Amino acid sequence: MPKVLLQKGLFEEADGEPALIGSKCGSCGQVLFPAKPVCLNCMSTDVEPIRLNRDGKLYTYTTVYMASEHFPPPYTVGWIEISEDIRIFSQIRGWQEQPLKIGMDMRMYIETLWQDDDREVIGFVFRPVTGEAQR
Amino acid sequence: MRDVAVIGAGSTVFGKFPERAVFELGAEAARAALKDAGISPKDIQFAYYANLYGGMVEGQAALRDAGITDIEITNVENACTGGATAVRRAWYDITSGLYDIGIAVGTESMTTSPIAGKLITPAKGDLSGELGMNTMAKFALSQRRYMETTGVTLEQIATVSVKNHHNGCTNPYSQYKKEFSVEDIINSRLICDPITQLQGCATTDGAAAVVLASLDIAKRYTVRPVIIAASVIRSGDYAFRQKDITFSDMTYKASKDAYTMAGVGPEDIRLCELHDAFAVNELQHYVELGFCERGEEVKLLMDGVTSLGGRLPVNPSGGLLSKGHPLSATGVAQIAEIVWQLRGQAGDNQVPHARVGLAHTMGGEVADLEAGAVGIHILKV
Repeated sequence: MPKVLLQKGLFEEADGEPALIGSKCGSCGQVLFPAKPVCLNCMSTDVEPIRLNRDGKLYTYTTVYMASEHFPPPYTVGWIEISEDIRIFSQIRGWQEQPLKIGMDMRMYIETLWQDDDREVIGFVFRPVTGEAQR
Repeated sequence: MRDVAVIGAGSTVFGKFPERAVFELGAEAARAALKDAGISPKDIQFAYYANLYGGMVEGQAALRDAGITDIEITNVENACTGGATAVRRAWYDITSGLYDIGIAVGTESMTTSPIAGKLITPAKGDLSGELGMNTMAKFALSQRRYMETTGVTLEQIATVSVKNHHNGCTNPYSQYKKEFSVEDIINSRLICDPITQLQGCATTDGAAAVVLASLDIAKRYTVRPVIIAASVIRSGDYAFRQKDITFSDMTYKASKDAYTMAGVGPEDIRLCELHDAFAVNELQHYVELGFCERGEEVKLLMDGVTSLGGRLPVNPSGGLLSKGHPLSATGVAQIAEIVWQLRGQAGDNQVPHARVGLAHTMGGEVADLEAGAVGIHILKV
């Protein structure tokens, strides 16, 4: 089954370490995800791509019990706060095995988000950091 | 800039009407507003018509069946704030002197919309939507964080639903007209944890309309014109600027502007129709609208201050929770409810001696913004 990216330029995998790609403003320091060609805070074009910290903390989450376009219920989504002082909205995986709690450590993974009839859509998810995941 | 008054208000009953076209609902509300104003459709000089899920030039079709043709008609979309936006534009066209008399209509038929029976999602291609975001998830995320950081309980949040459903029982326009207990609310179907079905409003079919006129002309039609003292629409700022997702910066900023414009403060507001799409929102909006300090919102609710009979009844109509939420109609319907209140025509739901009322609506999910739009109107007699 062919694999397609959810969106171009959202993430990369270098030396086996996946990272979300944001943009950082050279003028005001604002970090954005997804990356933008201009800084939305000050409109400077002096922006550089930045590999975002893969680890963050769970800011909040919800489990959804109605189907969405791509996800059968139940699925869980949340906001993850990362050290660059921004929050990232994401699918959360591993919540059935590891009860979620606001403030817990989360880590980003590149995974299949959903499968259509003829393709696999690859995106990012966050999972709770457990003993095993810290390997 | 001159004073603008509401001289007529009309609404359909809110509910599920899959057999009725959107324009039929709009026409019914427009005819009701014209009748209430005692004005001929021939005297309407312009119209704004808010709708999200209908087709093209819905406004012309609806107003055709209310006798309004051959004038300037503008169709408006601003998600849940569409209705308030239509009123705002109509207000502006009169206060600026362009026109003297116009009508603002809001309609929605959720049961015939492409998202009937589904959660409300962002526009196609929106990254958050692709990742599973919807309006209820957005506020479930806010509610979880709110409960965690404030200690407010699910029972306290459900009490908002109990209050508003109680109010709606005696509102002839309400969809539910049914009492629910805290247990009913909490034990209803879990949709976006911790939000259960009865903590959220139903998506609904309905329409509402208001006829506006300059104050000098309004006096020809009514001895009790209801003046629009403030009319504010504001779009959401970048989400990265929102420090805390449990506090709506856009509601706070729009209310500040509205109070300044009206020359009143939150302490002068005697009734409020606010956007209780989810029960938790009402508690959060008490703070953002300046009705109390942060941390005092549950006390305001539990002490009955915001109940009918309290100092500041909030959603005396039943709000979105009991009336239902036909997206683009809601903002106009809130203003119609306040007009009836300020005229003393609200029947069993009447707030005694109310002279100043505030309407607040917001919505529209967009990635990287707090929300699409917020609308605040302050009305007075």
